[in-house]
Amino acid sequence: MTSLPSILVGMLLLSIFLLGALTLRLAAKARQQHRSIEQLNEALKRSREYAEQQQTKLALRSDLDSVKDEFISTVSHELRTPLTSIRGALGLLSAGLLGNVDAKAQNLLRIASSNTERLIRLINDILDLERMESGRAALKLRRCSIQDLAREAVDTMAPMAEGVGIHLELICNAPRETIYFDADPDRILQVITNLLSNAIKFSPAGTTVSVQIDSDTNSVLLKVVDHGRGIPADKLEVVFGRFQQVEASDASKKGGTGLGLAICRSIIQQHGGAIWAQPNVSGLGTTLWVQLSRSARASDTALPSLIGAPGERGEGLILVCDDDAGIREVVAEQLRQHGYDILQAGSGEEVLAIAGEQAAKARSKASVHPVSAILLDLYMPGLSGWETLQRLKESPATKAIPVVILSVIPSSDRTLLASEAQGWVQKPFNENLLLAELGRVLRAKGMPGHILLVEQDQELAKEILAGFREAGVPMDHASTLQQAVDRCLLGPPDLLILDVMLPDGDGFSLVDWLRRQPGLHALPLVVYSSREISQAEMARLRLGPTHFFDKAKVKPREVEERVLTMVSRLRNNSPAAIVA
Amino acid sequence: MTHERLVTVMRLILIIDDEDDIREVAALSLEATAGWEIITASSGPDGIQAAANPKRKPHAILMDVMMPGMDGPTTFRQMQQNPEIAGIPVLLLTAKVQGVDQRRFADLGVAGVLFKPFDPLTLAAQISQALGWKD
Repeated sequence: MTSLPSILVGMLLLSIFLLGALTLRLAAKARQQHRSIEQLNEALKRSREYAEQQQTKLALRSDLDSVKDEFISTVSHELRTPLTSIRGALGLLSAGLLGNVDAKAQNLLRIASSNTERLIRLINDILDLERMESGRAALKLRRCSIQDLAREAVDTMAPMAEGVGIHLELICNAPRETIYFDADPDRILQVITNLLSNAIKFSPAGTTVSVQIDSDTNSVLLKVVDHGRGIPADKLEVVFGRFQQVEASDASKKGGTGLGLAICRSIIQQHGGAIWAQPNVSGLGTTLWVQLSRSARASDTALPSLIGAPGERGEGLILVCDDDAGIREVVAEQLRQHGYDILQAGSGEEVLAIAGEQAAKARSKASVHPVSAILLDLYMPGLSGWETLQRLKESPATKAIPVVILSVIPSSDRTLLASEAQGWVQKPFNENLLLAELGRVLRAKGMPGHILLVEQDQELAKEILAGFREAGVPMDHASTLQQAVDRCLLGPPDLLILDVMLPDGDGFSLVDWLRRQPGLHALPLVVYSSREISQAEMARLRLGPTHFFDKAKVKPREVEERVLTMVSRLRNNSPAAIVA
Repeated sequence: MTHERLVTVMRLILIIDDEDDIREVAALSLEATAGWEIITASSGPDGIQAAANPKRKPHAILMDVMMPGMDGPTTFRQMQQNPEIAGIPVLLLTAKVQGVDQRRFADLGVAGVLFKPFDPLTLAAQISQALGWKD
């Protein structure tokens, strides 16, 4: 049996030991805290230095911009001055106002005159393009009617068309209430006029150049269709470059500057839209497409139903990532003013960490919200925007977060846009376009997959459409090949139901076309046909995950069920999982 | 000159430009297309002096913007100080097309801004239009 004193001594020893341990732990904690404070101080210092660097960088950039501005302005002035004398002298001589000249001299005067005009256009175009690409030609946005603008352009170009025996027509397929959109009318008019001028120049006499207008809730689509010599497949994108023409001799023969389409693309991109060229389905001639978002800003006219007007309050937690602290702060402030909550990241690594952390917190705590959307810069030191995007999509915790790219790169790289990022805003950005794009992406998130039905049998189409409407899944219908192509370009569907027989072609040509489209080549496809399809034909019809149903054997109801299963998988998983 | 002119209203226009060639071309153009009478000056101060001549008071002044020494806008402001000249409408002729410049000129209170390179066949018409001349 242990004696009382020995117990007391034991307790005393234990107390001393505990006290010692406690003291040691407290000391360690104090050291740790001291370290964290030091770390914080260090981080603060670094970020202050960084902010200063960025300030200097920004100031330097704006200095450079004004020097460049001044230079361009001076050069254009210096070129215009001698041109004024040349143009004046030649103009007066060739008009015969100073006495008649013989035919040979007249011809030389004509050559000199027309080349002077070309040089003047060239200088104007270069200046125009430079100002737009530097982002210093601000858009004067207002509500306009695409139909009125197209009408004005057609009227302007009518004399030129008449002179070379070309018929101009304007077809408006858009319902009255969706022809309005937000844009700088002068700039859009410049684009349409330029496209018409090109179409007229490259079309043979006796043909028709047609301007067609389509629209839906979100965008307006304008096409200029010609029946000219067409653009070879390898030049479809090249023609939008500077000084790029299909034939090297075009500039001198057609009097163009080689900058027209580059200017058009610049204008359209500044509006947040897209412009591209495509051979006509008939194989003859070219179609130039212009797609513009309808709501670039809060509507100030009588169109209350306008979906996605950024005038509405935003909601959600937005992670803004840019390595430039200045840009980040500007974006954050604009979004805050519209009701968004903001997190900021200065690098791709930070984006991954913050988005992941936020997702983990949100799972365990109801009061914490996961990131609703990410605004992502592409060019960043360390992990680039592209790599960040890929990693986000690889991680189950973050792959459902929509990403809007905010980059100096134009959205013409549609491969990237369609496959990984949900939205795109080009820098220097317009606040309204940014809000509109973010709003669109946030609304699209979590919506059921969007289905396109390509079916020429109207009765059957009605039946299928009704079935999906009941299920609450949005579905568009196209009854011809051309309509299907138009629909896909207006807004890529998430799934396609296709009849092989079409009045103006067949399902094979549509699939061939889709395969060549970036972002559409892996579309989930359901072929629903009344005609026997051989193994070889099946191979030709395969797109993304593809299923074949025979109209004679499988009822629309069953197709609907199968498609709905595909859609729900599409909603929860990546498209690749649909095959399983 | 072989062309017959139907224009009967005589106009006297003062052209101020430091470029000899441009003065000559502009003068020829206005004489040949509209039959106007032209006097020229190669600098701002010379222009003010020419405009102030009571025997040959111009109906309008066409003046370059960028000139060595006194530029167009400065010359214009000085003209406004002189009651003899202040009433004569002034059109600026500029090779700059930047929107900022255009707004700056409009703010000066000039009667209009025309652009270089001008079309010699329509220059007179552009001047008439800017000044609201019906003849």
